[in-house]
Amino acid sequence: MSAHASDKFVYHEPGLQHQFDDMGQQEESVGIGMWFFLAQEIMFFGGLFTAYLVYRSKFPMAFAAGSNHLDAFWGGFNTLVLIVSSLTMALTVFYAQKSNRTLQLVLIVLTMIFGATFLGVKAIEYTDKYNHGLIPVAGWNKRAAADPAAVHGEAKPCWEVAHGEEHKYVNPRGEFIWTDCSLVKQAQDHNYLTESERNGYFSSGQIDGNKFRDKVRIFFYLYFVMTGLHALHMVIGLFLMAWLLWTAWKGYYTAEYYMPVEMSGLYWHFVDIVWIFLFPLLYLLGRHFMH
Amino acid sequence: MSEYHGDELHIGIPGYLGVFAVLVVGTIATYYAATVDLDFIFPGANTLLALLIAFTKMSCVMLFFMHVRWSPRLIWLAAVGSFFWLAIMFAYTMQDYLTRAQGVFSGN
Repeated sequence: MSAHASDKFVYHEPGLQHQFDDMGQQEESVGIGMWFFLAQEIMFFGGLFTAYLVYRSKFPMAFAAGSNHLDAFWGGFNTLVLIVSSLTMALTVFYAQKSNRTLQLVLIVLTMIFGATFLGVKAIEYTDKYNHGLIPVAGWNKRAAADPAAVHGEAKPCWEVAHGEEHKYVNPRGEFIWTDCSLVKQAQDHNYLTESERNGYFSSGQIDGNKFRDKVRIFFYLYFVMTGLHALHMVIGLFLMAWLLWTAWKGYYTAEYYMPVEMSGLYWHFVDIVWIFLFPLLYLLGRHFMH
Repeated sequence: MSEYHGDELHIGIPGYLGVFAVLVVGTIATYYAATVDLDFIFPGANTLLALLIAFTKMSCVMLFFMHVRWSPRLIWLAAVGSFFWLAIMFAYTMQDYLTRAQGVFSGN
């Protein structure tokens, strides 16, 4: 037998790309490539977490006040939704490893439903911010003309604005609105303002509502950029899942070859991990000041 | 190294459900821990506790859902290394901000 004849019958696994020696080498290379991509993603989000760290350490009370205005119920609900979607994703990989096409399809669809639920809740939250003048860009909030017939009482100082009191929403130019600076008063009374805060919230020794508003605005900038970037990753993840659904439907993934499922899973879990940190850092940081 | 995944199926269904349970408990614990004022221990104790729970949850997701537990050393290095770079970014940014002018962050 010639060498050529024996080459002809060398076993070649169907999922093996020609540049790799064997499936093990291929899986390892693919995995390392994906993890380097995720390391890059960590740095990508890391810049925003650094900005958060700097400004929160400078203006903790403004961050606490802004955080208390986020809806911790929806934030917590979304955390649980993402955790369930991570479970269904992990099980998708499990059933791909078992060559079970039906359960792969069911679990990918479930993952997509939970991902879409997350984005739906996000839309509810963003709409709420729009309606309350909390988008930190002038002109991007709901506009409401002032009622000329309204009787204006004595304007209260901003630290005496009662919690939960119903205000008529007046915002003719759609600006960022913030009226409550009671946390500044509280921190001043208990003497735990930072030096940056003593400069940043006060004018001539008095609490300055406008200066405080601008610091709360920094929090909402970070809220929108961080959750917005995270939501963008969710949207990309949903496209990834749609592609995975299509290829799984065609029966591409079996115990011998399931790397695309595993790698999509890594991406999905990474997005979940980012949210695990965003939830306490954005929604819960000032909760213990509420009495 | 060629036995990257081999034939074993990681932790199986009960394992995945167990990790899921830990994550749910962690989320609920995060929420309730945030409503209790822990400033009597030291200022910022709430944040530290929240981050401890978040790191625990992240470790569970990475080790078991992302299969790092069974991955080659190079993937461990990529995972741990990325957090090391993140720590450098945090540390060097803050050592700048914390020392810009005397007293700026003294807080008292």
